Amino acid sequence: MTLNRRMMLAGGACGFGSLATQAMAAETLSSNALPGLLAKPHHAPKAKRVIFLFMQGGVSQVDSFDYKSELQRRDGERMPFDDAREFAKTGKRGSEQRLMKSPWKFNQYGQTGKHVSDLFPKTAQHVDDLCFLHGMHTDGVAHGPATLFLHCGSTNFIRPSMGSWVYYALGTENRDLPGFVSIAPSIGNGGPRNYGSSFLPTRFQGTPIGQAGSETLGINHLEPKNFGDDRRQQQLSLIDSLNHSQMQRRQQASEEFQAMNDSFKLAWRMQQVAPDVLNLKSETQATRDLYGLDNPNTRSYGERCLLARRLVESGVRFVQVNYGDNSANPAWDQHSNLPKHETHARAVDQPIAGLLADLKQRGLLEDTIVWWGGEFGRTPYSQNNGTGRDHNPGGFTVWVAGGGFQPGTSYGQTDEFGAKSIQGKVHMHDLHATVMHQLGINHEALTYRYAGRDFRLTDVYGRVVHEVI
Amino acid sequence: MFFPVRLSLVALCALLMMVCAGQSTLCAADPDTTFFETKIRPALIEHCLECHATETEASGGLLLDSRQGWATGGDLGPAIKPGDVDASLLIRAIRYDDPDVEMPPEGKLPAAVIADFETWIKQGAVDPRKQPASGDPEQATESVVEKAAKHWSYQPPVIDDALASRADLIDHLIDRQIKSQQLTKASPARPAVLIRRLAFDLQGLPPDPAEVKAFADQASPEAYEALVDRLLESPQFGEHFARHWMDVARYADSITLRGFVLNDAWRYRDYLVSAYNQDRPFDQMIRDQIAGDLLATGDLEEDRLRAVATGFLALGNSNLEDQDKTKLEFDHLDEQLETIGRAFMGQTIGCARCHDHKFDPITAEDYYSMAGIFRSTVPLAHANLSKWISAPLPISPEQQQRYDRLKKELQVVAAQIKSFKAQQTGKPAKGSLIALDSLPGIVIDDEQATYVGDWTHSTSAKPYVGKGYHHDANTSQGSKSATFEPKTIKTGRYEVRMAYTHGTNRATQTIVQVFSANESKMVRVNQRLAGPIDGSWISLGEYPFEAGGQAFVMVSNEDADGHVIVDAIQFLPVGQPDQKIAKADPQKERESEEQREVQKKLAKQISELQAKEKQLKAEVANRPTYLSISEGEPKQEVAIRVRGNPHQFGVKVRRGFIAAVGQADHFAKQIPQDRSGRVEFAHWIADPQNPLTARVYVNRVWSWLMGEGLVTTENQFGTTGAPPTHPELLDHLAQQFIDQGWSTKQLVKQIVTSDAYRRSSRRDQSSQQRDPENRYYSAANVRRLPVESLRDAMMMASGRLQMTMGGSLIPKGLSADYNFNHQGYRRSLYQPVFRNSLPPLFQAFDFADPSVSVGDRNQSTVATQALEIMNHPWVIDCAAVTAKRVLDEKQWRQSAELVDRLYWLCLARQPSKQELESCVQFLTAEEASKSPDSQRVQDLVQALFVSIDFRYLE
Repeated sequence: MTLNRRMMLAGGACGFGSLATQAMAAETLSSNALPGLLAKPHHAPKAKRVIFLFMQGGVSQVDSFDYKSELQRRDGERMPFDDAREFAKTGKRGSEQRLMKSPWKFNQYGQTGKHVSDLFPKTAQHVDDLCFLHGMHTDGVAHGPATLFLHCGSTNFIRPSMGSWVYYALGTENRDLPGFVSIAPSIGNGGPRNYGSSFLPTRFQGTPIGQAGSETLGINHLEPKNFGDDRRQQQLSLIDSLNHSQMQRRQQASEEFQAMNDSFKLAWRMQQVAPDVLNLKSETQATRDLYGLDNPNTRSYGERCLLARRLVESGVRFVQVNYGDNSANPAWDQHSNLPKHETHARAVDQPIAGLLADLKQRGLLEDTIVWWGGEFGRTPYSQNNGTGRDHNPGGFTVWVAGGGFQPGTSYGQTDEFGAKSIQGKVHMHDLHATVMHQLGINHEALTYRYAGRDFRLTDVYGRVVHEVI
Repeated sequence: MFFPVRLSLVALCALLMMVCAGQSTLCAADPDTTFFETKIRPALIEHCLECHATETEASGGLLLDSRQGWATGGDLGPAIKPGDVDASLLIRAIRYDDPDVEMPPEGKLPAAVIADFETWIKQGAVDPRKQPASGDPEQATESVVEKAAKHWSYQPPVIDDALASRADLIDHLIDRQIKSQQLTKASPARPAVLIRRLAFDLQGLPPDPAEVKAFADQASPEAYEALVDRLLESPQFGEHFARHWMDVARYADSITLRGFVLNDAWRYRDYLVSAYNQDRPFDQMIRDQIAGDLLATGDLEEDRLRAVATGFLALGNSNLEDQDKTKLEFDHLDEQLETIGRAFMGQTIGCARCHDHKFDPITAEDYYSMAGIFRSTVPLAHANLSKWISAPLPISPEQQQRYDRLKKELQVVAAQIKSFKAQQTGKPAKGSLIALDSLPGIVIDDEQATYVGDWTHSTSAKPYVGKGYHHDANTSQGSKSATFEPKTIKTGRYEVRMAYTHGTNRATQTIVQVFSANESKMVRVNQRLAGPIDGSWISLGEYPFEAGGQAFVMVSNEDADGHVIVDAIQFLPVGQPDQKIAKADPQKERESEEQREVQKKLAKQISELQAKEKQLKAEVANRPTYLSISEGEPKQEVAIRVRGNPHQFGVKVRRGFIAAVGQADHFAKQIPQDRSGRVEFAHWIADPQNPLTARVYVNRVWSWLMGEGLVTTENQFGTTGAPPTHPELLDHLAQQFIDQGWSTKQLVKQIVTSDAYRRSSRRDQSSQQRDPENRYYSAANVRRLPVESLRDAMMMASGRLQMTMGGSLIPKGLSADYNFNHQGYRRSLYQPVFRNSLPPLFQAFDFADPSVSVGDRNQSTVATQALEIMNHPWVIDCAAVTAKRVLDEKQWRQSAELVDRLYWLCLARQPSKQELESCVQFLTAEEASKSPDSQRVQDLVQALFVSIDFRYLE
């Protein structure tokens, strides 16, 4: 038979499809890796993998890592700001707002004397390992558009997620596991589109493990119910023999049929390997303590962070660890009740600190990028003169650690109140470009031809922020 | 600052230049332009042209939109000296070397961009842009449009009369190529193979085993033709072909964002099924889908079909939450144009949103002349979350009269309620305080509110809820607010009410904002009037709230013209029985018996009327609607948006179409002043002289049946698409299709009765080597079943497949598609295409992305598919039911006999000797007795389901 165009894992111009088919078909591969589009990275990589700690809803920068003494001092003053929502709706700039100081105390930490609020005392212990980007800005004032932009580099158009791009470029180091995983993703604000492969071949889409709002962490249909191993193996061997008879009958041995038949063996292996990786029970008490698994407040996010460590350790390329929910106004979205930030901070602070410590002690932090942040930040003034803060895509903070990012650095800044990024500005496109750069990918060269055009994650934008690497 | 938009299309075509710089066809002019196109043009567009372009202000007299512009320079002289970096004024400006000229003014460019400009100038400042005549400032390249218009697909088909009259047109032209390529034709497929192929191709379902046997016994050309006719006439043909078109139309029943359910989308799907079954001419289907609502005939059935078809325009997966509604509208119409372009003409129109298309003859002017048509429609109803248009479905005059009557009745009842309420509030209850615990739902008293600014506690006016109320002392207007937020709230709909004590010194326009799950709504309350409910309360409306989501009410004293009062906020769950209304504490009431009687009577009348009102509302809401767009204020001209930015205006263009395609000018002139122009848009596309339309559609049908298009890029007939393998065949098929009245069924019959379609898929080695992709059709393509057929075939084997047609499977009142549990055993086509919850197997088995027009689906082979098909309870259940069905049929004495039955049921053939052996051995492996164990049979059935022969056509 012919292996026609569509039967290939349609790829770019480089014949990746047939490469992957062969890789899948060859049972005797010496390593367990499955290569991606790039036979070799574009340049020497500093990092091999990414853990993205997604703080859904938007953490307030001026209440966490972007200390503003001026804001504390001038609390209650009214002055004009270019409010993003106001601007998007009406085109009006300079609407009057009331400055609202942070209710949390800031202390200095580490050798660098970094100011961190009482929301993140545990993470604060690691400031000398972190690289703060205080001059972040992004697109989209509402959660839906901004969340899609964060993941896919576009507020509205249907585009592949960053994890899919990375998986597509670099492949995975363990083909018995998915190469891109999103732990406990939200179904809201774009839902599956945030880990979808869009026009990239389906195999590069993110595999969800668990779901926001649920404590269970599992892969769908990984294990059948009521099938013993023995029963399943007998069935698989029957399938193998039927498929071989059918190939013989058709007088057509093809890569396609072979790959299809082999996919059952790969699935079987995944079924054997993945449950072990997902099983956190084998971890020591010390590790459990590190991630706060025995504290009801931190257990949920702690388990997710620990699972992320186990996944990257097993060769998964891109792991997103979500802290959010399925509502339209997700977790960190404190429009009216800023003090609620504390509940969320208490849930994630210990697990994050634990993850950083754990990665470091295992020597994984060196070539793992840990990225912490939300889809945007929040305003330093109160929303509608109330008791909360509105969205702020014009200035916010993200931190990255490991993977060649300069530790103990603070780069960029917002204005004296923390409203707008004014110096060392890093657009979300720039952050995408920089993370990819650390992985050995040139964001301008990684393109995919679709519907007659070449697409890339950063569209026609993106600048590698050399100042922090 | 906040950038109003960052458009993704801006310079993508510049990227393409990079990609094809190595090819010699289109952009070979000068390899040096690569650097300009990839680095400099995008940087100029992003940082400079806003002020330095012909169409903008040409700040300082300097134009950077053409080579001539910067060579001449502005007030300070030439901006660039090619080859001399340091002498170039532009470099001095962007380096911020000279405090008098620092550009761009909003901040120094990144070092990398500056370095790019330096490199570019050092290398001689290659710039292909000529001075723009008008229009789009950054697109001044030579006439790509003229060049591209010569591409084959924009030319009329070339018809040879001698060829056209041949009955064996397809085989004649296919055979000619096979011969010239020195390939050998495969022998005709065996009847059993052929009937299975035909059944799946025409119905998406396997043939009945009995039919296969009958056809295999007496296959003849006549028998085959009769079979084709019968399948074409079966209602399942329309279902299967509708699903093909649904890929192209990016059909879905929900929107990703928040999982909003498109309740009426199914009507569009049912339209397609019926249109294909009736063999509705395809040109008419085009008119239906673009302007059917505007082309009423007076025939009710026909008008309903036409109207419903316009759902096509409204299926886009837009981000309805976008706060910039102008941008949303432009994004939305971009999606519509892009889908129309791909679906009907294989064009990527969207490229021209920001600049003239770099490869195809589509200018920005063309784009905005078509945009003008959609700017003359109303695509969405805007709110914080905008909503699609639900239009009233055409119904019979009798039905319409009934609804009119109901509406009138409703108005009368509403007026009555109002009047009774006025009487009621004229004599408000005079109790002094309302006990908190006497109130249903969630009540937040003023004591629990969060205040900004000074608010004064008071008990002067009665009655009040709890221990008193707060007011703003009528001072510091605009700086005080009070927020009422429940500690927790369960997900659901609530009526939100506010209590206040009225009085003559109160504010008449108190601003109250309700922040619910989806939106924030502002309500103004006149606090000089007594609350319409019991004299204390006013309803702020019904809203959805989500547990853990946004749920609060904020009262502010902005612009207040009197005291702003806050007493309490109540969240009343909607639809719960016993919605006890807040009542004054009876012990403290000093009302006369008589007054109380009157009040009681009034309350009873009101509650009766309200019940009636509710019932009427429900009946009126039952009036059927359909998904569509409506006509808006016709715009004679629309401004080109510079770089696609909806807020930046360029020159104005009149409504029209792609000038280089078909009779664009002719139809543009027919657009009436007082209409949107959608009708003419449809006519232009469906015109026999449009060189793209028939070709694109014929090619789709060919690919649906042959496994690959004559043009392999089904959605891309522009210059970057694949050329046709058989141009003459495509042209003649397209022309015949038009001449035969755009009949899909005739076209299908023509293709499936060709020898090319009926060949075996077995190829000899030399043909395999010469034509590895089988582009010349010397054998049939081996094809994979689409996921719908895979599922339907499993359900059919289990005997559970229901052939009921049409209608909606979406439960009434479903508000979001999240975690939807797909149930039942209707054909897969009828399962809601929920963008956040696709039916079982759909995602893993390469279902078309329902957010974009798909011309050919991906085909992947991955381990997750094996996991799904082996472990998904839905598949396992199907296998179990099939096993039970067969075991219940009779007492199977011989395992071999049973295996034979299962093979016919699942694969429409008998097992080979070897297969029989394997299966019998599997069934009897553990059992001493020979009676088959149901679990073993189930596992065997599943093995057949997942095997090659079940999943691939031969």
